[in-house]
Amino acid sequence: MSPNVKPAEQPVIADEPTAEDVVDLDTPWIVLVWNDPINLMSYVTFVLQKLFGYSNEKATKLMLDVHQKGRAAVANGSRERAELDVYRLHDHGLWATMQQDS
Amino acid sequence: MRRRKQSGPVDVAPDGMFVLNLADDERQSFNHFLDELESLLNEETDDGRLRRLFPTAYHNDALHDAEYQRLMRSELLQSRRTAIDISRRVLDSHDALSEGDLMQFMQTINSLRLVLGTMLDVSEDDEAQEIINEEDPNAPQMHLYAYLGWLLECVVDALQNSLD
Repeated sequence: MSPNVKPAEQPVIADEPTAEDVVDLDTPWIVLVWNDPINLMSYVTFVLQKLFGYSNEKATKLMLDVHQKGRAAVANGSRERAELDVYRLHDHGLWATMQQDS
Repeated sequence: MRRRKQSGPVDVAPDGMFVLNLADDERQSFNHFLDELESLLNEETDDGRLRRLFPTAYHNDALHDAEYQRLMRSELLQSRRTAIDISRRVLDSHDALSEGDLMQFMQTINSLRLVLGTMLDVSEDDEAQEIINEEDPNAPQMHLYAYLGWLLECVVDALQNSLD
């Protein structure tokens, strides 16, 4: 477990963009899954296969990235697409967030 | 870790359906856990124990996250309630289960583990520690957590086998 890479539960909003800021529409969004001590490795692999249609090999690799590196980008696309993917991952109990790729 | 298929709690039937081999007292206990989870969900969803059931969506972006939560939180709550209802049906019936119903049951087992794991504040180091100290005041919850982990592993195994 890598506590230092967990998403902040109370995000700091010091220099965050305001609603007036222009959103960069061209930069795709990435969906990240974060390591957590509760979800089983087999469960995470299965959920990634089921939700994204990934092969067992690809899902296992992503799961191991999450486990060993603390997080992995499991999908990317438009903001709407990413929000839907985050929702589906949350629905399955995975610790997912989204951010604009930089 | 793989467990023996023949004596497992979930079997894959030849027609692609699933059979849940749980004793009646196990089903009853499980129904009780579902009641507890449901009553927890009926309370404030910002209860700390539910933290893992309603995670942050926007990393380091409170503004967008607030908007996301406003739109999606109730939907997520409703989805969890539906999964609990389907799980009750799964436990009440001795008929073969569809993949969809078993998936909903799987998600509910996982929700229970997320709440219990949060309450017990489990860390990854705990995984190695298979033996539960019976003197520990949390021992009953730790046994339940281990049981749910085993059951979840078996359900995932069955679903994974039918996917292959």
